[in-house]
Amino acid sequence: MNAARVIAAFIRRDFLAERSYRLSFALGALATLGNLAVFYFIGKLFGGAMAPQLEYFGAGYFPYVFTAMAFFGYIGTGAGSYAGRLRLEQTQGTLEATLSTPLGVIQLLAAMSAWNFLFATFELLIYALVGIFIFKLDFAAANWPAAALVFFLSAACFAALGILSSCFVMLFKRGNPLAWLLNNFEGLLGGVYFPVAVLPAWLAAVSNLLPVTYAVRAFQLTVHKGAGLSAIKGDLLALIIFDAVLIPASVWLFGLSVERARKAGTLGEY
Amino acid sequence: MLLEVKGLVKVFPAPVFTGTAPLRALAGADLTADTGVTGLGGPNGSGKTTLFKTLAGILEADGGTIMLGGEAADSRRLRAMAAYCPANPRSFYFRLSAAENLRFFGALAGLSPSEAAASAVKLAARLGLSAADLDRRFDRLSEGNMQKISLIRSFSRRAPLLLLDEPFRGLDGISCRGLLELIAEAGLSSTVLITSHSRELLSAAAARTLRIENGRVPAGGPQ
Repeated sequence: MNAARVIAAFIRRDFLAERSYRLSFALGALATLGNLAVFYFIGKLFGGAMAPQLEYFGAGYFPYVFTAMAFFGYIGTGAGSYAGRLRLEQTQGTLEATLSTPLGVIQLLAAMSAWNFLFATFELLIYALVGIFIFKLDFAAANWPAAALVFFLSAACFAALGILSSCFVMLFKRGNPLAWLLNNFEGLLGGVYFPVAVLPAWLAAVSNLLPVTYAVRAFQLTVHKGAGLSAIKGDLLALIIFDAVLIPASVWLFGLSVERARKAGTLGEY
Repeated sequence: MLLEVKGLVKVFPAPVFTGTAPLRALAGADLTADTGVTGLGGPNGSGKTTLFKTLAGILEADGGTIMLGGEAADSRRLRAMAAYCPANPRSFYFRLSAAENLRFFGALAGLSPSEAAASAVKLAARLGLSAADLDRRFDRLSEGNMQKISLIRSFSRRAPLLLLDEPFRGLDGISCRGLLELIAEAGLSSTVLITSHSRELLSAAAARTLRIENGRVPAGGPQ
């Protein structure tokens, strides 16, 4: 089967479905801008003074949170979209029909969230344009090749977490402890809204267990300080280890959960 | 293509903490069918849909063997070889047009967009479905027309094994005649299994009809 054709078919399907909900589409874009404005005014409230925890990143509060939100917004797509898409297929009743075709697990995973990643890329572009032309952020020091590497490793890692999370949806439909963890603690403990140096030691120790901590820190350093690979090698190594473990494990477990659903006859349930 | 099913078992486990017993939907079903049309009758809950879903590779069997063309067929091979038309239209994207649905599912079955579109137009005409209906959003189709889209999806695959579960459901008389012709044509090259609660339609579609009861196809050949 032609994988590119399958991915294109999923993207077209999801685009047409999204387009049929026009108001939701527009409101989603407005919500993103609203969020950014909140952080912009928080940044203005505290003026240009740099908090000591931010000195390490060479950025003020607004550039820090802007970059982290844009970055996390993209990599978070992988974490949330697999489970969300799968759940939608279940409730629509289309999962069983989709999985009654010769479509393999890897093809399904590659195609299922393709539209979400495409849309997230578009959002990222909007973020970049808004950041440069409206908020006048300065990215002159950025080391873009290093940032791209961090970006790729992080997106893969979060996609793997998203696939793991979708296994719960495949098996239990509702009740997804991994999604709960990702939604509620990644932002708090991962340094998205503030550097993890602000956290007390015991919470900072927990944050060290999360890939988002390494991803956000490395990305901030490459974008704001132009850090090279040697400066972020610890974070890169952590991301590589997370990827090496999580990607094969998540694909394997997803395959098992599909098999289990076929065995239990629950593919058509919601 | 020769389909040989021996001792097929499918048990649905009871939901946890409900105290209910597992459901033995197929209790050692045996079935042989060759190229041509074979009908399958039986009361509600007798195991027809479970048998079809297992033969389509949607469900994993708990026991027994399925051979297609003389070779063992696991669920992966069955998904590649079989096309299944469910009895329920709730397997489409309701906010997409019928044509877009057929294009999407066609891609999953290996059809190019142009092949899927050509096949949709050709089959739609045979089933009395207009071009305007193909372009209509799926949720705005009548139930009978939804059923026609479901039939077009399964016929488009030109699969060696075609499983039609209650295909006449909701169709008017003219469309039923069109469908009977399509089934007869498909039976020239594929093994077609078909269920219906209408004895007349089942006998019109299939020269040979089997009966399933309590998850078994009683011995003795055609009923």
